[in-house]
Amino acid sequence: MTMMKTLMIATTTALMATSAMAADIFVVGGKPDDPFWSRVKMGAEDAGKVAEAQGGSVTWLGPQNYDNLGPDAAELIRQAIDQGADAIVGPNWVPEAMDSAFEAVVAAGIPLVIYNAGGIEAADRLGALNYVGAVDYKSGYAGGEYLAKAGHTNGACVNTLPGAANIEAFCSGFNDGLAENGGTGSVLQLPATAFGDSTAVAQAVRAHLLQNPDITAMFAIGDQDSNATISGIQQAGKTGSVHVCGMNFNDSILANIKAGTQACAIDQQGYQQGFFAVSILNNHVMYGTTIPTREILTGPGVIDASNVDLVIAGVEAGAR
Amino acid sequence: MENFAVLLRRPAAASIVSLIGVLVFYVFAGVELDKLFGAASWVNYAARIGIVALPVGLLMISGEIDISIGAMIPAGAMTTAIISGHYDLPIVFGILGALAIGVLVGSINGILAVRTSVPPLIITLATLVAMQGVVLAGSRLLTGSASVPLNAPDWAKTIFGNLMFGGSHQVIIVWWVILAVIFWFFMHHTKYGNWIYAIGGDKESARNAGIPVNGMTILLYIMTATAASFVGMCHSILFNSAQVSGGMNDIFNIIVSVVVGGVLLTGGFGSVAGIFVGALTFAIVNKGIDFTAIDRNWSNLIIGIMLLLAVGMNEKFRKLALSHVSKKK
Repeated sequence: MTMMKTLMIATTTALMATSAMAADIFVVGGKPDDPFWSRVKMGAEDAGKVAEAQGGSVTWLGPQNYDNLGPDAAELIRQAIDQGADAIVGPNWVPEAMDSAFEAVVAAGIPLVIYNAGGIEAADRLGALNYVGAVDYKSGYAGGEYLAKAGHTNGACVNTLPGAANIEAFCSGFNDGLAENGGTGSVLQLPATAFGDSTAVAQAVRAHLLQNPDITAMFAIGDQDSNATISGIQQAGKTGSVHVCGMNFNDSILANIKAGTQACAIDQQGYQQGFFAVSILNNHVMYGTTIPTREILTGPGVIDASNVDLVIAGVEAGAR
Repeated sequence: MENFAVLLRRPAAASIVSLIGVLVFYVFAGVELDKLFGAASWVNYAARIGIVALPVGLLMISGEIDISIGAMIPAGAMTTAIISGHYDLPIVFGILGALAIGVLVGSINGILAVRTSVPPLIITLATLVAMQGVVLAGSRLLTGSASVPLNAPDWAKTIFGNLMFGGSHQVIIVWWVILAVIFWFFMHHTKYGNWIYAIGGDKESARNAGIPVNGMTILLYIMTATAASFVGMCHSILFNSAQVSGGMNDIFNIIVSVVVGGVLLTGGFGSVAGIFVGALTFAIVNKGIDFTAIDRNWSNLIIGIMLLLAVGMNEKFRKLALSHVSKKK
């Protein structure tokens, strides 16, 4: 009971500190217990420390689950308007379901920043101040460029989700990244049933490498696939001669990069998305400033042996 | 005073007291009530779970349970979107299709429940999982995608999926209130309501008394599945899209809101007014947390504690009501 009381007192005082002359910023995002979104939330809250020092606040609104993603997020955006937000940050995950909610934000005269999904096209269409996030094509491109510059010019992108637009964008970016740096790229198409099946991915990579001995670079579209691809390279007896870059990372991938079995990982840097979206809005509400640079890219961030130790420190702090 | 005591012993009283308790807690946690009452999010949410909670509550009073509702909400949404969005057929077909799939799955649940001795939890678990499979496979097969856009004509939007008063209140709230009145009349002012209580109290005695137990049970299963697909249909029209999803959370949220509304998990006790207030309470617990300054990381803990307290309060009131002995006049 005493704990409850302390909690109540703490929250009421926190609320009383909020004055009318400051920015109350509402951030709509994923579940707070989702590893990626917990980093975005931390970035938003770290930027929110400035808002709080000025008497403002940052409030995180996330859905309970991802079953009903578009409508739930649209509801949260409308809820933020009802709660009297001075500024709103939100991802445009499902445009059909969410556009009208974003339009209501703009119609209410509330400054809006789109982040994480939707791109600058969504920000322009909806009348948002800016877009903060990564672009799938450029993430793939960064992987191709990195490997080609390291001298591994013949590459293949392992596509375990054929047809998904963002995955196609990774692979075409990767191939362009290789091609524009003096290499050639191809796509290893796997049936959709292979997605998430590490054994199937590893077997396919092994067979592909044995059939195409010239390939020295590979790109994986997710952290699980990265590990599976490395295992396939190992089974083909090509460890050390075929180099891998992959999207996203986890502890084992960081260990692989440190050990040299994976060349690089491409990160969209969620912390930056929360941090910059909130700062842009806070400064805009407080001082009327704008960021004329349209499309603030938070990714691709390349993680390789040169910066892996810093990334590990960032993971321990909860920011990466 | 005596009138007040009588009021307190009504089945819905406990749920109203829990609702007040929840509001008091939130006021202490820093919620400004005018902002909360002005906001649409929790009313929309209450209507979404409340429409399904009404028939689920009656089903639970009759001693059965239906968890396939979790798959039926997305099934209704996807049926509408595939028929009228992907194949561009008139929205009437999409609406009828969604309701038809509700009637179909409800009938399967009901017939299996009365014809076999398999517990309803297991039967509807099987249809839950099966429907998740049907919806995902069907959607990928027919449209090649797991999410389908839909553009409903204006009249359909006005009736099923619109925002009212130029704000964010969804028209589904009106449906919820109308359905609640219909269910209240059905349950408390017709013989069918008494049948349901009798079935929940003792199925064999009810059968011996001449109540068509099997027919009533099948009808209740049809109502739960159809209410769920109706909610899904309204959502797809409002949000111009539908996506394949598991809907696991809806199951728990709807059943918990029914229990918060004073319905016994073992059947035989509960009321439509209680179920209505239960959905309202659950929605305020769930969405009210966003109106406090409490860190979101704690929200599930606080929701859990408040639900436990609300259900505990119900238990206490029910005992009070059932053990009460009126003074001889």
